[in-house]
Formats: sequence, C-alpha cells, structure tokens
Amino acid sequence: MNILEFNNVTKQFGGLTAVGNVDFQVAKDSIFGLIGPNGAGKTTIFNLITGIYHVTEGEILFEGKRINGLQPYQIAQLGITRTFQNIRLFKKLTIYENILTACHENGNYGIFDAILRNGKYKKQERIMHEKTQTLMEIMGLEDRKDIIAANLPYGWQRRLEIARALASNPKLLLLDEPAAGMNPDETLKLMTLIHEIRKQFKVTMIVIEHHMDLIMGVCDKIMVLNFGQKLAEGTAQEIQENKKVIEAYLGEEEMHC
Amino acid sequence: MAGFMQQIINGLSIGSVYALMAVGYSLVYSIMNFSNFAHGGVIMIGAYIGFFLLAAYKMPFYVAFALAGAGAGLLALIIERVAYSPLRKRKAPFLYFIISAMGASIFLENIVIATIGPTFKTYPKVFSTQPITVGSLSVGRLDLIMFVISAISLAILIFVIEKTKIGMAIRGTAYSVRASALMGVNTDHVIMIVFGLGGLLGGIAGMLFGMKYTVYPQIGFITIKSFIAAVFGGLGSLPGAVIGSVLLGIIETLTSGYLSSQFRDLIAFALLIVVLIVRPMGLMGKFTEDKA
Amino acid sequence: MDWFYIQGILILAGINLLAVLGLSLLTGFTGLFSFGHAGFMAIGAYTTAIMSVKLHLPFIPSLMIGGLIAALVSLLIGKLTLNLKGDYFCIATLGLGEAIRLILDNVQYLGGARGWPGIPLKTTLLNVVIIDIIGIIILVNLIRSKHGRNMIAIREEEMASQIIGINVFRYKMISLMISAIYAGVAGGMLGHYLGFLQPKMFQIVKSTELTIIVIFGGLGSISGSVLGALVLTSLPEMLRTFAQWRLVVYGIAVIFIMISRPQGLMGGHEFSFHAVKKIISSMFYRKKQRGLGGR
Repeated sequence: MNILEFNNVTKQFGGLTAVGNVDFQVAKDSIFGLIGPNGAGKTTIFNLITGIYHVTEGEILFEGKRINGLQPYQIAQLGITRTFQNIRLFKKLTIYENILTACHENGNYGIFDAILRNGKYKKQERIMHEKTQTLMEIMGLEDRKDIIAANLPYGWQRRLEIARALASNPKLLLLDEPAAGMNPDETLKLMTLIHEIRKQFKVTMIVIEHHMDLIMGVCDKIMVLNFGQKLAEGTAQEIQENKKVIEAYLGEEEMHC
Repeated sequence: MAGFMQQIINGLSIGSVYALMAVGYSLVYSIMNFSNFAHGGVIMIGAYIGFFLLAAYKMPFYVAFALAGAGAGLLALIIERVAYSPLRKRKAPFLYFIISAMGASIFLENIVIATIGPTFKTYPKVFSTQPITVGSLSVGRLDLIMFVISAISLAILIFVIEKTKIGMAIRGTAYSVRASALMGVNTDHVIMIVFGLGGLLGGIAGMLFGMKYTVYPQIGFITIKSFIAAVFGGLGSLPGAVIGSVLLGIIETLTSGYLSSQFRDLIAFALLIVVLIVRPMGLMGKFTEDKA
Repeated sequence: MDWFYIQGILILAGINLLAVLGLSLLTGFTGLFSFGHAGFMAIGAYTTAIMSVKLHLPFIPSLMIGGLIAALVSLLIGKLTLNLKGDYFCIATLGLGEAIRLILDNVQYLGGARGWPGIPLKTTLLNVVIIDIIGIIILVNLIRSKHGRNMIAIREEEMASQIIGINVFRYKMISLMISAIYAGVAGGMLGHYLGFLQPKMFQIVKSTELTIIVIFGGLGSISGSVLGALVLTSLPEMLRTFAQWRLVVYGIAVIFIMISRPQGLMGGHEFSFHAVKKIISSMFYRKKQRGLGGR
C-alpha cells in the first residue's frame, strides 16, 4: 500500500521549472531515498509535500487523500513532518523545551483550562511531559536536557531536530540531508538511528542525502532527480548499475561518499 | 471643473514636497530594510535651520535652502553613526533600528521644545502672496516655487542614482548588500551617502513645508504622511515614492476641498491600510516569496 | 513627596503595566511588533467611558466591555493584517492606531479633539493592583501552557512551528486579541483615573512608549516587563520638574539601551528565587555552569 503518491506534479517559479511532471509512489513502512545533484529539485519536493510551496500542476496524495492546497500546519496534523537542510530549531529554548513544544498535539486542553490550571490542564500536561521524557531517552538526549539548542554541537542539533519531528507522532517523516556536516563516525550512528526509528515508531521515511553509503545502506527504494525530472527509480543495486544515473550523477569511476 | 483643476494643481505642489521627503524613507529602506522614523526629526530640524537663517540672519533664500539641506544631511549622518551603525555591526533585528529611530525622533523633537520652545513660528515673507493667474486658474507663487524646487531636486537625485558611479554603488547595494561588498563596494560609505542624500532632500523639503505652513516641533509626525506615500508607492522604490507622494498630495487636497479638511489625515491613514491589505508591496514594489 | 503624589505615580505605572503585559505577550513571546497599541487603549478607554457615563454601568463590567470591544477590533485588524510579513505588519498597526485616533478626533458625541471631561474617578490604587495581579497570573499561566509554548515557537522559528502542526495564524490572532484586551482594560482605567479623555493621549508616541518598556525589560520576560513599567513610568514622572529635558534624556536613553544592552534588563530570564540561588551557589562552587534555562 502506498502512503504517498505524486501524480504528474509540476512546480514552476516564474518561468523556471523546478520540478517537472514528477511521478512516484512511496510504500508504507518503507524508507525512500531521494538523490540527485544540487539544484535537482529535491528540497522543492519536500516543500511541496509539506505545503510550503503550492503545486503548479498535478496532485499529491497522502493515504489516498489529496493534500496539495492544504496549509502546512494542516498537513503536519495529518501526520507528515520534516527536518530542514539548514536546521531550524527553536534556538533559544532548551532541548527539553524544543521537544515539549512539539508534543503539543499529544495533549488537548483549551486556553481557559490553561489560565485556570484545572485538572484537565494538569492531566494533559503530564501526558505531554511523559511523552517528552520517553523521546529524550530513546534519542539519547536525556543527560543534555537543559542545554540551549543553539549551544549544541552540529550533529546533536540534527538529532534534536529528528526528535522534535517525532514528537508529533508522524506517519511520514521527511529527512533533508540528515548527515550533512557529520563525520563518518556520526554518519554511522545516524544510520543506526534511522533503523532504530523505523523499528520503534513504525514511520515511513523519505531521505534526501548526498552520502551514498547512507542512502544505499538504509533505503528500500531510491529515486534519482536531475534538473527537476525523474531520471531513474529502483532499489539500491538497480540505481548503482543504471547507466544514466552514473553519467549524470554518480560519476564514471567510482561513487563518492 | 476649474475648481477641480485648482485642487489638482495644489495637490501636485504639496505632493512634490512629500516626494522630497518620501525618497529619504525609500532610499534608506532600499538598502537597510527598515523604516527610518528619525527622518521626520531631520526634516523638522531642516525647517528650523531655514527659519532662523531667514528670520534672524536675513539671508537670501537660496543660501538658506542650501544651508538647511546641508545641516539636515549632516544631522542624518550623525544619527546613522550614533544610532544605527552599532546595530548594523551587530546584525540586530529590524525592530531595534525602528526603536532606535523612535528614540532619535523623541530626542530631536524635545530638544527643540526645550531650547527653542513649543510655539509655532511663521516664516518671514520671501515671496509675494500675489497669485499668478492663467485664465480661471490661479497658482500661488509659493506653490509654484515649491513644485519647481522639488522637481529640480528630484531630477538631480535621479541623475545621481542613474548616471554616476556613486549611484551605481547605491543601486548595487540595494540589490544585495553582500554581493556588493564582495564586489568591492564599500557598503559603509554607501549607507552614509544614502543618509546624507536623504537628509539633504529632507531638509529642503522641511524648509518648503515650513514656508507653506508654519514651523513647530511636531512637524516630524506630520511628515509620517510622506512615509505613507512611500509605502503607497512601494517601499524601497524611488519612482514609487515620487508617484505615491504626488497621488497622496492630490487625494489630500481633493478630500479637504470636497469633503472636509478634518478628514485629510484620516484619508492618508485609511489609504495606507487599504494598500497594505490589497497590495502590500505598493504600486511599484516587488513581491518576494519566502524560501525554505 | 506626599503620599497622594506617590499614589498617583503608582496608579499610572500600574495602568501602563497592564498594557505592557499585553504587549509583552505579543512582542516578547509571539515575536510580533505593534506600533498601534495606543489605538486599542483608546478603544478601551472610550468604550469603558461610554458604558459608565452614558449607560450608567458599574465600573468593573464597563472595563470588561471595554476590553472585549478592543478584542473585537483587534480580531478584525488581525484578519486583515496578520498575514503581512515583518515590517509591514508593524507599519499596518501604526496606520490603524493613528486611524482610530483620527476617527475619535471627529466624533463630536465623545468630545472630539477637544476631549471629554467629567468621567467619574473610579480607578484606585487598590483596584489597579488587583487587576495587575490577575493580569500577571493569567499571563504566567498562559505562557506555561502548550498555548504559550506554541506562541514562543512562532517567535523562535515560524516555519518550523508550522511543520510541527501549529496553526501560526490562529496563535498570532489569539496573542493579538489577548494583548488588545489588556490594552483596552488599561485604557478604561486610565480614563477613570484622569477623569478626562482626549484622542491626543493615544498618539504613536504612546504605542512607542509601551514597546520601549517591553524591550527595556527584556523580550520574553514577564518580570522584566513589570520592572520596566515601574521604572520607566515613575522615573519621568519624578523628573517632571525638569520639564522637557527629561524627554530629551529619555530619547538618548532609548538609543543607548538599543546599542548597548539590547537584551533588556532581564535578558529573557525570569526573576525567581531558584535562579538567584543557582547564581549564588555557582559563585561559591566553581562548577561547570550550564544555561540557567529560566524561562
């Protein structure tokens, strides 16, 4: 069963076509890789899925329902969330506050419940704090709880951003270059983390990445984009053997990492 | 019909003075992306300099114009150095610039009240009040001179921006501060020139405004209407500022001519709100899309 | 300085504080800047006065209606302008604040530009203090709830807030409406303290003054706003003998604060005994210090 479908989706900026007539399906519970040279339209696809950009033509289906045209927060509430290439944390808040904020959909109470601090407020807040605590433990962040997000090392900021995304219980998680700026050791840990997340949270993932080791290591299916067009699609092995892909992106001699 | 044409002529005259003020707001906005509310204070000081030169020192009016412009330009430069430049170095958010500008305008207004006094001052008569009549239309001499001086000043400004090397640096910096800096433009100098130019024109405008009406410390807040004109035309766009100002001037004179002069200011602010809702980038501004 | 005089200053500071608390929610916690809050104060002031003078309602219900009408107007304004980005929202609020004042200038029924004298003096130090305390409690409770956290998230990173499912427009609206209620009630109390209303009292300068206090206290700090309102209202009042020179100094001080200590008095932290204890203990034991995280 497909969780996400792109049907002939096109996005134009003025006269420039950033994504042209792209078609693909993402199977539920799979990890889908999105690769291609810089400017190929990978992040644009994420922006289209999350509603930050509006689709020029075509439609995007999530669990069989059309989502293009919805506001970003509505799409998020349906169960799609993401991380950003240039990390967008709540910089001045602590790790704990970052995750707690993102847990807002886990508890439900009104403004007046908050002002009166009644039983409902207390009960729902407890649920949100518990959820935050659990996430901190799973993501290995619990002993850094009170550190301000902006003061974290780069790799940990990326980890926190993933944790924050998971706080809203997504069905589909989009990771935009999660390994960018990481050393090989950290990249290896990230791969373990992605496998771990898949097992623990039963979430489908789409990953944009330039580290081929990571893409080939975690993805069930990979799509290659070039100049906003789909160049190829298939398993890791099929992609590595595809002539067009080697020519346009991977390089003749050997893949770069 | 003649009455209508008369209003249009009056509107053009006051609109051209607004334009002289509005380009000051727009020039600064085009480069630094914030609304320089201290500009009103600079205009007010220009008006006072002109008044004293004419009233106390009996200078010829063109000398007074030059000195009022120079004084106001210098003041604008000082404000930039003291109130904005430290913020710029720290890359502070735009609000800090606006607050700093508000501080500067509070300072300017009140130092005038404290030293000169809060009373209205009337300029000595430089031009005869005898209007020039053409057919059924009559134009006040002062109105005509206001229009001519504003038009000449604006023409010189446009020449500087379009045809000189300094102008090219200004246009480049307005397009992208970073890229211009990388291309070897000293953006710090450009910013100083922009403040100087804006202040210079503001000082001349202030003096014209004072000659037409009177001089008093709160003139600065009246000039906020020229800021509205700049928003109307599209903040950061010079042609926009000029067109917006002339239109605002005409709308204002028509309002006071056909409705009531009490609604004149209200119309200006209502126009601002309508523009922001319908077309926030103004008549000539460019629309930008957010990037993820 | 007799008690009557001090009491007067405290009442004015308390009224300012209420308006500042509202603006603190909007500016300090939601990251939106308004130069039109004097307009909401004006609406609250005139509505409250209409209720009590023309319709003979008691003071407290009049105040509540004043706050409510200010909130309704803010709802309308918010619908129209909250989608504007940064600078433009700020300019729109400035225009709206001035428009409200200019309309009042022309309503002869309410005294027009000449003003409206003879409003009963019902604001006392006691009811100002009580309303301020209620205002602070409501604000603190709101900030420490998921709703407050959502607003802070919008201040910190608007796009990320949307991505985690926060309805940014709705929360900006809620923040604007609550801040308008605070401003409206503050306006109502001001009219019933001075016994006189005039549109001139609600010029841009008033809006600027409120924003300056919020920034002076430190964005994102309620205790900073309280401290800022007390200091910045009472200081100029006490210097009244220096007449205009105090405003000259005020202008310089504003610039000085902006260029030297932009984080404000409290720098985004709250005053709490816990934090004080932590600071003192860190002075004695030179432990590796982590962020106080007092927010």
